[in-house]
Amino acid sequence: MKFSDEMLMAYADGELDLVTRAEIEAGMAADPEVSRAVERHRALAVKVKAAYQGVLDEPVPASLASLAAAPVAAPVVSLGAERAARFARKASSFGWGYPQWAALAASLALGIMVGVLVMRGPDAPFTGTSGGLMARGELETALTQQLAGSMGTGAPQVGFTFRDRSGAYCRTFHLQREAPLAGLACRAGEEWRVQVLAAATERADGLRPAAAMPMAVLQAVDAAIDGEPLDAQAEKAARDAGWQAPPDVAE
Amino acid sequence: MSTPTPPDDLRDQLGELLPRLRRFARVITRNVQDADDLVQTAVEKALARAAQWRPESRLDSWMYGIMKNAWIDEIRARRRRERVHAPPEAGEAVGDASAHARDIALSVQAAMERLPEEQRLAVALVLVEGQSYKEAAELLGIPIGTLMSRLARGRAALQDMLGEVQ
Repeated sequence: MKFSDEMLMAYADGELDLVTRAEIEAGMAADPEVSRAVERHRALAVKVKAAYQGVLDEPVPASLASLAAAPVAAPVVSLGAERAARFARKASSFGWGYPQWAALAASLALGIMVGVLVMRGPDAPFTGTSGGLMARGELETALTQQLAGSMGTGAPQVGFTFRDRSGAYCRTFHLQREAPLAGLACRAGEEWRVQVLAAATERADGLRPAAAMPMAVLQAVDAAIDGEPLDAQAEKAARDAGWQAPPDVAE
Repeated sequence: MSTPTPPDDLRDQLGELLPRLRRFARVITRNVQDADDLVQTAVEKALARAAQWRPESRLDSWMYGIMKNAWIDEIRARRRRERVHAPPEAGEAVGDASAHARDIALSVQAAMERLPEEQRLAVALVLVEGQSYKEAAELLGIPIGTLMSRLARGRAALQDMLGEVQ
């Protein structure tokens, strides 16, 4: 063959100068084998690129996004509405499949894979919606009604409450399913959107103070919190007001 | 000992670039966790060296170069530690795809994983990331001829592993 494989490759990649290109095109016209070789290069290039295209659609882990988003001293976790909405759009009508759960877990900073497969069905504590992953069932009830520190056994427990930078109320929680889970949910309209979910370690006495929160949840809290957690009185007032974000108070 | 604050536009551009950096990392590390660790390392390095970045130059090429170097350092460190590389978790490497497309993606990824490091880097930069030969050669620190020969050998090996393309 008149042309080297590297030349044909470079032609397929659009890397040749005009003159050489014309020579190769003449060669392709004269010899179908040359055309086929170029076509093989092109087809392989398309295949290889396509094989990794899916990575671009994956949610960027919060730990990475926050790294690029703000100075290290004040990271901002943006595992929020947009990403959750993207998850939900991908989820098909029959609910979140394993890949979505896996993707969510993988996106949660530490990449802990929790036993989420059991969390589907009518009494699931979460549901994927167009607005993100929303708390449901007993978790939703606990987030809406429970005051921090009131200890139930086995049921979801609310850790503490704070307001994020947008003014919305956020609450940490523990949940006992297949495995102990901890997370952070923030008020979104009339619902609680789960921002972070991670495997938790359980203490022998069943008490789970904030200190027992997984690092992923604590980081999300640190990134989101505006000021200090609410005290008991403020928390109760917020609950009684239906968790509506109060208008911003000038400092 | 505080480093100068990286300019916001660098952060913004890095943020936009993250999906592509993750893709590149996935190709060269062959492992989801390693890939994200590598991106994290590279972003941290980039922010720390923000002063070296020229806004008029291409951020993607600069980042690919940082990632390539960081990955080679990592491989060397691992070899020193004589640690066996964890087998790639192929199943995790797939995004949204139909079953058929996923099969193809998996087989291409499996074939890519078996390429020698330097060929995989060349293929990753040119075919996956769309860098020109010149850009890829520059950031790998090799002559264009060497880049082309690695690229051609990598493609030939892939072609062999994947069988003839219809």
